[in-house]
Amino acid sequence: MDFRSAAKYASLLSKAYAEDIFALLVNYQAISASEVAARLDLHIKTAQDFLESLAQLGILSKEEVLEKKRPYYRYILQQTRILIDIDLSQIKREQTQNSLSLRIREKENAGARFSVARSGATITNVTIWTGAGREREERKIKLTPWQGKFLYYLPFPKATPLSVGEIMQKAGIDEDQASEIMDIVQFLEKYAVIETSPED
Amino acid sequence: MSLVRKLNPDRNITGALIPLAMIPIFGIASLIFGLTTGLIILAVIVWVVSCFYLYVFAYTRNLPHLYVFAYGVFVGCLFTLLRTYILTGKEETVELGLAIFSSWFFLGFVLLYLALTRKLKWRGREVFELAGESVEETGNGYTSRPRPIGKVAYNPKQIRQFTHFCARNLIALPYTTSKNITLVPIKMGDEFGRLLGLSGDYLDATWVNFDDQGEVSVHISQKDYLDYRESLSFDQLCASFGQVFIDFLELHSKGEGVRVIDRMDDLRIGIFS
Repeated sequence: MDFRSAAKYASLLSKAYAEDIFALLVNYQAISASEVAARLDLHIKTAQDFLESLAQLGILSKEEVLEKKRPYYRYILQQTRILIDIDLSQIKREQTQNSLSLRIREKENAGARFSVARSGATITNVTIWTGAGREREERKIKLTPWQGKFLYYLPFPKATPLSVGEIMQKAGIDEDQASEIMDIVQFLEKYAVIETSPED
Repeated sequence: MSLVRKLNPDRNITGALIPLAMIPIFGIASLIFGLTTGLIILAVIVWVVSCFYLYVFAYTRNLPHLYVFAYGVFVGCLFTLLRTYILTGKEETVELGLAIFSSWFFLGFVLLYLALTRKLKWRGREVFELAGESVEETGNGYTSRPRPIGKVAYNPKQIRQFTHFCARNLIALPYTTSKNITLVPIKMGDEFGRLLGLSGDYLDATWVNFDDQGEVSVHISQKDYLDYRESLSFDQLCASFGQVFIDFLELHSKGEGVRVIDRMDDLRIGIFS
């Protein structure tokens, strides 16, 4: 299941009336939105939307019924088990050797403020400012211990850029932490706090 | 041989302001309350300022500052003595006058000697000059981040002894935590703000830090960086700054601390700079 579908499932299941509607669905052969609304004292639009969303996800099927020339849908439960299964490794950014060889350094006049930990060689957070004039906003990024250590060793503006791998080595950071390091590198690059140059 | 200075000329008058401010305070107090009250106020100010020098001695163990404190106490006493004579109208004996004058002359001479031999001088400016000496490249690149310099193979005890040496010789003020020893070099005139806690957090100032693993890192404040005449390559300046302290540490551990003082004296920076 992809993350987006799982989010839809979770969103529907989190509704206060979800359990009651499922109780009706599992006990009735078929049920319409107006019947659900009347039974649970809900607004018909609320019941209709919920049932439609379940039908879109394939949990229910619907059949059109004609009553006094006015068509409506009856919903039938298709499965009695709902399994949300997300493989988080799908959204993990795989680090290639290429990304670790990306040469970086702090950008001159980046306008970011690095707060140094009182305890020693690590940066605790980076404050960046986005927008201009009245739209200007301060954004404080709290760093993980590994990210803080990494940024402590980031080359200064105008200094010779170093590869991400070299900086990690200097800071004593294991390659297992590469994904969280690359995440902050990409973030700071996006906000022009660091500049990158391809490998020589 | 003329020395090429990397720093801007020192125009800081904070150090001179405090003793000079005593004169108008004395004048105004005498005008409003009379000469005898003016003398008492002057004596109290001298004692208060002397207490600052006692505090410096307590913090740094720099003996000449203890001497300045004692001198201040003596001068304050002279003012109260003078007040007593003015109030009672009793003329002092020639012998007593001579004793006071000769003591004042002798103590003043020693004070002058201490000042001229730079025993009372805060050495921050020398440290910055030495750091800038080897940096030829320009190009700015300032950042507020500290720069890791490298590792020194000295144990915490040796580093602690070195920080005591730096404090005793007014090279830098030490700030110690369980894991770090941070040295903050102080320029003449900046000592009042820093020691009285008026200059903000020491981590915002220029410092060199030794952690318990011997890792050395340097931070140069923007104010101190802008004190250089040229926009020196910031990366190189930080490296050089750290190297100055590593060299000092090496000399001190070899028992050649006097060479550190000689290196700074050789720069011939004015005693008030």
